[in-house]
Amino acid sequence: MKEKVLTEHFGLENLYKIDVYQKQGGYRATEKALKKMKPEEILEEVKKANLRGRGGAGFPAGVKWSFVPDTDKPKYLCVNADEGEPGTFKDRYIMSHNPHMLIEGIIITSFCVGISVAFIYIRGEYEAIALRLEQAISEAYEKGFLGKNILESGFDLDVFVHRGAGAYICGEETALLESLEGKRGNPRLKPPFPASVGLFQCPTVINNVETISNISHIILNGAEWFIKQGLPKDGGTRIFGVSGMVKNPGIYELPLGTSLKDIIFKHAGGMKEGKKLKAVIPGGMSAPILTADEINIKMDFDSLVEANSMLGSAGIIVIDDKTSILDVLKVVTKFYSHESCGQCTPCRIGNSWINKIVKRIAEGKGKKEDIDSILRLASNIEGNTLCPLGDAAAMPILSITKKFRKELESHL
Amino acid sequence: MQEKTNEMIKIFIDKEPVDAEEGTTVLKAAERAGIHIPHLCYHPAFPPEGSCRMCLVEIEGFPKLELACSTVVKEEMKISTKSERVVEARKAVLEFLLAEHPLDCPICDKAGDCKLQDYYDEYGLFESQFKEAKEKREKKLKIGKSLILDQERCILCTRCVRFLKEVTKTQDLGVFHRGVHSSVNIYEGASVENNYSGNLAEICPVGAITDEDFRFKTRSWFLKEGESICPLCSRGCNILIEYHPGFSRFELPKRVYRIKARENPEVNGFWICDRGRYGYSYLDERRADQIIMNKKEGENELTCENISRHLGEKIKNLSSARKTSGIALILHTWLSNEELFLLHEIFKNDLKVEKIFFADLPDGEADGFLLTSEPSPNRRGAQEIGFDIKTVDLGALADGTDFLLAFGPFLSGLFSSKDLRGALDKIKTKVLFSSNSNELNSLFDVVIPVALIAEKEGSLTNVEGIVQGFQPVLEPPGESLPEWKVLSDLGKELGMDSKFYSEFTSPEAILSEMGKKIPFFKKKND
Amino acid sequence: MSPEFSEKTKKKIEEIVARYPQKEAAILPILHITQQEFGSISAEEEKLVARILGIKPISVRELVTFYTMFPKESLGKYHIQVCSNLSCSLLGAGNFVDYLVEKLGIKPGETTPDKKFTLSTVECLGACERAPCMMINFNYYGEMDPKKVDEILDGLK
Ligand SMILES: Cc1cc2nc3c(=O)[nH]c(=O)nc-3n(C[C@H](O)[C@H](O)[C@H](O)COP(=O)(O)O)c2cc1C
Ligand code: SF4
Ligand code: SF4
Ligand code: SF4
Ligand code: FES
Ligand code: FES
Repeated sequence: MKEKVLTEHFGLENLYKIDVYQKQGGYRATEKALKKMKPEEILEEVKKANLRGRGGAGFPAGVKWSFVPDTDKPKYLCVNADEGEPGTFKDRYIMSHNPHMLIEGIIITSFCVGISVAFIYIRGEYEAIALRLEQAISEAYEKGFLGKNILESGFDLDVFVHRGAGAYICGEETALLESLEGKRGNPRLKPPFPASVGLFQCPTVINNVETISNISHIILNGAEWFIKQGLPKDGGTRIFGVSGMVKNPGIYELPLGTSLKDIIFKHAGGMKEGKKLKAVIPGGMSAPILTADEINIKMDFDSLVEANSMLGSAGIIVIDDKTSILDVLKVVTKFYSHESCGQCTPCRIGNSWINKIVKRIAEGKGKKEDIDSILRLASNIEGNTLCPLGDAAAMPILSITKKFRKELESHL
Repeated sequence: MQEKTNEMIKIFIDKEPVDAEEGTTVLKAAERAGIHIPHLCYHPAFPPEGSCRMCLVEIEGFPKLELACSTVVKEEMKISTKSERVVEARKAVLEFLLAEHPLDCPICDKAGDCKLQDYYDEYGLFESQFKEAKEKREKKLKIGKSLILDQERCILCTRCVRFLKEVTKTQDLGVFHRGVHSSVNIYEGASVENNYSGNLAEICPVGAITDEDFRFKTRSWFLKEGESICPLCSRGCNILIEYHPGFSRFELPKRVYRIKARENPEVNGFWICDRGRYGYSYLDERRADQIIMNKKEGENELTCENISRHLGEKIKNLSSARKTSGIALILHTWLSNEELFLLHEIFKNDLKVEKIFFADLPDGEADGFLLTSEPSPNRRGAQEIGFDIKTVDLGALADGTDFLLAFGPFLSGLFSSKDLRGALDKIKTKVLFSSNSNELNSLFDVVIPVALIAEKEGSLTNVEGIVQGFQPVLEPPGESLPEWKVLSDLGKELGMDSKFYSEFTSPEAILSEMGKKIPFFKKKND
Repeated sequence: MSPEFSEKTKKKIEEIVARYPQKEAAILPILHITQQEFGSISAEEEKLVARILGIKPISVRELVTFYTMFPKESLGKYHIQVCSNLSCSLLGAGNFVDYLVEKLGIKPGETTPDKKFTLSTVECLGACERAPCMMINFNYYGEMDPKKVDEILDGLK
């Protein structure tokens, strides 16, 4: 039987308070993990659960944790709560409705990997949520779930909230590390990977809020149960965020593999009155666009890759037929041009160049060769940049321009 | 030479097998094999930055193009540096750079040794497809004593920023803003003020940071360069001297236009200090180029050629007791190892001269990095040869002295002319060897013009005891000649061990003889 | 006069600094506090923060100009940040901004002469389901339309 995992109790009043959370079973997973399980057992369970990262790339969490070397250096956990991908707002829901579920995940993850300091890097705009998290953290300290010798297990953990300050790139894991260290959010060259050389040069695990929030459920109910909530290679549910021209925008927690069409037309109530579907961006702005006749597709990592798109952050943006695709392209190219850190040549100059062309077309000064220029420049960015933002920009630009070439040409 | 501890592995670059040191990068391995991979942000002094994306190469088994500057070689790795994909990617990067770059080459000081220009040429990109408005930025920002930053030409390789962060640790420059608006800048009211600022113009791969000391004085393609050693302190930094070979049709005001750092990991890394970089006017200003005779010396006209015979005769005429007590020497430590060795052999060992003084510039302050407190290049050499570095005592110098042989122009800075004259007047015969004219010229009977380090051959021993050879880069002006020549002739003239001296036909020969006598100078790899 | 933190704030800053193994890591939290206390981060504030952390002002400038939340000049009492990203645009963010421009008599990036309002357009605020949305200082407002925004702005003293 498939059910809601993460959002099950979101309707409860004051769920963000520790007493309410505990009443519905909160912190039982922590007790189980710290008192009855060994770190290796936890790692095995998480690996078996095939919990894939919810931040964008879909990397299996257990495998990532296992890359952390056994050293005497301190190790860190960074929870990625930057949530800057346009169309994405699920982490906001988790943190504001159920911060303790995230904290539990942090405790168990840290216990498993041998971490004693965790940071939640949250986008600067979420000030109110940062306060809520801090309150929840101090409640957890009071009840002995954080701090020294947690539940008499000998395990110590401190958790801090660290606010970003307005830079989408800081959601990229190595830029996040730089930002947390007090620097400009310039992504780092990889290798080395953060698991071996991360925050303050120490081994570091970086996971998305939703990824970590699943941990307590895996511990309580087991990997097998978790896989049943989703797909064998893609365990659990996903919180889909639906926005744009639908009747009921919002979050929908559904099994991985739910069809995109159902999400839009069944769960989100279909298109707003009088609007027809034109296109969908299925996984946050960076995911290549799908046209109206491409939405009969299962929403899981592999199916979307097959359709030349990606599940990304599972933020679904629904575009209607009255919207000009040129306007969409203008917003997309402005975004990446504005958010490029500026470190590497193709992204710094390419994205700004493309945006300048698109703006010119929108001003009615388009030229015949512009569409080809956009395609050429975007493919020159793709694959040639220092961090994945280059690809994240090139992919939607290429897909929009290719799939809606005719419409774009009508503006020239 | 540094010992090679790393194993060698075999890789393939453009299908050719190449030996590469384990742990090295593709770029370094290629360079070692004589294959140049274009790069802008990479500089061997710093860890790879990976930001310019110019060095992309194709590596078998990797789906994407990889960076040559940061990818570590693996056994059997197959790399193509010239495949179509690679060339396309490089062109793409260049096209991006060109898009926001002003077309300044005709008025850019870097033209001729600009990497960007080189790469444009190589990849045949002359015209930009970019038809949009370029970002407006600061074109003429004064960022230091003699440095100008043109932000529009900057390609944001951050070499300058990293230099100031990692080498001088002064962090005078930073990157402000982000994305396409990123720009290198100084903080208002502050500027690049450290003794290494001149390196910035050198490491900037394009014409974004230029040096006013050089700006618009000439064009780099007129210049020739030669390897030398900086003589301005005892570090002995390795340098390149850029000079104008001259035109036959008109006179140039000077020969030397610029000093650059020359890499030597054991001595100065990639850098030189500002004193060494900008303090080159002595090479052209007030140069002594003719023998000066203030007192008639017998029948024959003295020339630089017959000077050693003349000196030899003078010395031979002294009684042996007078040789020891009547001769005085004033030396300095711009003299090469070979010259100091000859002086030591002739005057100290053979003639047993007691009054030997050194007249160097007064000590300065070390800066904690390269610049040492000793403002001359060979004090250590003089010590290793056996000299006791005594500063000049005018009273002791003149006392009972008949014959003074003085070297260098530095004496004049150490004493007032009145005191100097007072002391020198007491000495009957006094000869000066000097490269640059100053008031001393009138105080000696004969002044012989000599070559500078940039104009002769020899070796120097730096503060750490590293012996470094140098070759002439420039012609010695006029009649001037290197001291070692005069001295080896003098040795022959004095006939003390003429066989010994007759072998000294070159500084190299002298150095190898030195090695036999003084273990310190024995060649390390002999 | 150069700005100075109150004793209480200094204590708070010390507490924050202690969280990190390297002092500089505390710079974003400190900049947030600085922004809150002084309303902007001009050269004076940059120097203050640099002094506290023992770094050069230029290092602070590098950060302040990278992140968008540290304006150099003080803003109006109420900073209206309207999302101009995709979901909000689809639902009329453009018109909404036009409405505000007309109502306030200022363009995005400007502040009203009475220093009451600053208007900005920003990238996705992470509240796309409430499009078109905006933030006033740190409060979120969603499903905006002219009537609603009139009510909100009129309620601000
Ligand atoms: C430009 C860019 C922005 C990103 N933004 C976010 C983000 O806001 N939140 C997030 O969790 N991951 C983001 N990511 C993905 C992270 O780099 C990283 O993969 C993720 O945090 C890992 O966690 P996960 O494995 O749990 O998904 C971003 C990646 C890129 C390239
Ligand atoms: S791809 Fe863009 S965001 Fe990433 S490092 Fe390069 S310039 Fe910065
Ligand atoms: S000024 Fe020169 S060295 Fe500095 S970043 Fe720009 S191009 Fe590179
Ligand atoms: S450190 Fe000494 S040797 Fe090196 S450049 Fe400066 S003055 Fe010349
Ligand atoms: S030289 Fe390799 S990226 Fe710049
Ligand atoms: S698009 Fe406006 S909040 Fe996301």
